Amino acid sequence: MKRSPSDIQLEKLLRSSKLAAGGFMGDDPRTPEEVIREDAACLERLGKTAAQIAERMRMLTEKASAALGNPVQLEDKFEVRCEEWKGGLICPWPHPGRFPKRLTVCRRLDTGRQIVWSDLNIHLIEAHGFFEGKGASYRLEPEDLVRVLFE
Amino acid sequence: MVLEIIRDVLAVSSTAAFLTLILVVCEGLILNYGSCEVMINGSRKETVQGGKSLLSSLQEKKIFIPSACGGRGTCGVCKVKVLEGGGPLLPTETPLLTKQEQQAGVRLSCQVKVRGPLAIEIPEELFRVRQYQARCSRIEDLTYDMKRFTFELTEPDTIPFTAGQYVQLRCPPYKGSREEVMRAYSIASDPLENRRIDLIIRRVPKGICTTWCFEYLREGDPVSFTGPFGDFYLRDTQTPKLFIAGGSGIAPFVSILWQMKHADDGRQTVFFFGANRTEDLCLLDEMKAFEQALPNFRFVPVVARPAPESRWSGQTGLVTEAVQRSFERLDGWEGYLCGGPGMIEAAIRVLRQMGIPDEKIYYDKFA
Ligand SMILES: Cc1cc2nc3c(=O)[nH]c(=O)nc-3n(C[C@H](O)[C@H](O)[C@H](O)COP(=O)(O)OP(=O)(O)OC[C@H]3O[C@@H](n4cnc5c(N)ncnc54)[C@H](O)[C@@H]3O)c2cc1C
Ligand code: FES
Ligand SMILES: [Zn+2]
Repeated sequence: MKRSPSDIQLEKLLRSSKLAAGGFMGDDPRTPEEVIREDAACLERLGKTAAQIAERMRMLTEKASAALGNPVQLEDKFEVRCEEWKGGLICPWPHPGRFPKRLTVCRRLDTGRQIVWSDLNIHLIEAHGFFEGKGASYRLEPEDLVRVLFE
Repeated sequence: MVLEIIRDVLAVSSTAAFLTLILVVCEGLILNYGSCEVMINGSRKETVQGGKSLLSSLQEKKIFIPSACGGRGTCGVCKVKVLEGGGPLLPTETPLLTKQEQQAGVRLSCQVKVRGPLAIEIPEELFRVRQYQARCSRIEDLTYDMKRFTFELTEPDTIPFTAGQYVQLRCPPYKGSREEVMRAYSIASDPLENRRIDLIIRRVPKGICTTWCFEYLREGDPVSFTGPFGDFYLRDTQTPKLFIAGGSGIAPFVSILWQMKHADDGRQTVFFFGANRTEDLCLLDEMKAFEQALPNFRFVPVVARPAPESRWSGQTGLVTEAVQRSFERLDGWEGYLCGGPGMIEAAIRVLRQMGIPDEKIYYDKFA
């Protein structure tokens, strides 16, 4: 399929370090469209949607953020902590999307598995089905998310 | 045969060359807007080369409009009022401008192309913003994840600033980050000693600029920044003042306390500083010195979850809970907040409930 100039422009930005150190693509040779397609296929196999994952991440972030940096236990399953810095993060897609610089550290109490995400990750997954390229600092593996958030 | 091939090749390449020439000429004719005049605040006239964005044209004239997204039209920080010229409002601008702003002619300077004469209005204080060269003269550990960086100015050699303002530090490319980025940091030093600035920086895991500051920047290295920016400063009213900060949010208050010390400020001021553990506390000696110099100033460190072995005897819980425990009402007070967006939101809710109206609660707009 022929790629539009805006797809090419977006890929350039996702691979640059302007918005995130090392960019959003890591060393992934695939195009962003391929990354999104393949992660969507993986989610389908796992029986979950990007919207369900994002909703669960947002709920945990919102509950933990009230503790202003202190860990809280949720659903007898998770220990969740939010860390914040001043300033905002911008979505690389061409639309106004600005998110707090906040990291959520979510640990499963039973297995000890831990996942760290930012508010921007939640948005990228929800609005763009984008989990970032392989090797990117903030890449989230759909399998890991499903395992930690739903099992 | 060979001759025919050469002839064909020549024909194709001369056609290509001709087309390129036409393109270049057209570009010159169509896209060359020549010199354009920008009238600023009705008094200052700048002549810029047309064709670029208003944001970058002004920057070339050393007028620095703040920007957080590097001109991509997504942060909304680069607003200026365009009184004449500027063309129609673009679809990229409307989501970031309120109805009132649109009616008043406010535009995103990174989206407005200079294609003819323009008349614009910008806050006068932006004329004071300069680009500074400096040398990092000291790096000091404050906690396990916070450091204080001292930058001695080299060119220009002084920076006039109001306590509470911030600078945009240029973070150069380094291994793992291929492009220059800018990040905002509050000035944390005495406004009277303006040959240097101190910044208090808290490390962000995998953050672009803080990784550079913590792992690559060394004492003696050159640094560059623009500033000062921001309208977070101590209001000149007789009202008692409540400061609330967490983490590196302590930075602007250090500068504000220096200013209060020089002015021999007798206004009642209480500073609540929130930390999760005792290891997150810093500058306790400096705060004690301010308490001694300012008779009506009190510093209240609050530790959310002190470890038993730390033998913490001060306030515990969330910083907002400590405020609620310490006062019944805060009618007639002003609130000054600095920290992450969640802390700011929580503090605003509490201060509102306790009687401080929104217009008396101050914090950095882009926090
Ligand atoms: C007015 C103002 C004053 C400030 N003053 C200070 C101060 O005095 N001291 C101070 O320490 N800070 C201050 N800040 C904050 C500072 O500007 C920076 O935001 C902060 O230091 C982090 O910058 P960074 O480049 O290291 O992190 P960034 O690279 O911007 O990353 C920050 C966070 O973004 C998220 N993120 C990054 N990349 C990705 C990705 N690819 N996918 C998903 N999420 C991602 C992560 O949550 C990461 O932790 C201030 C900010 C403002 C606006
Ligand atoms: S610089 Fe960010 S919107 Fe213009
Ligand atoms: Zn987006």
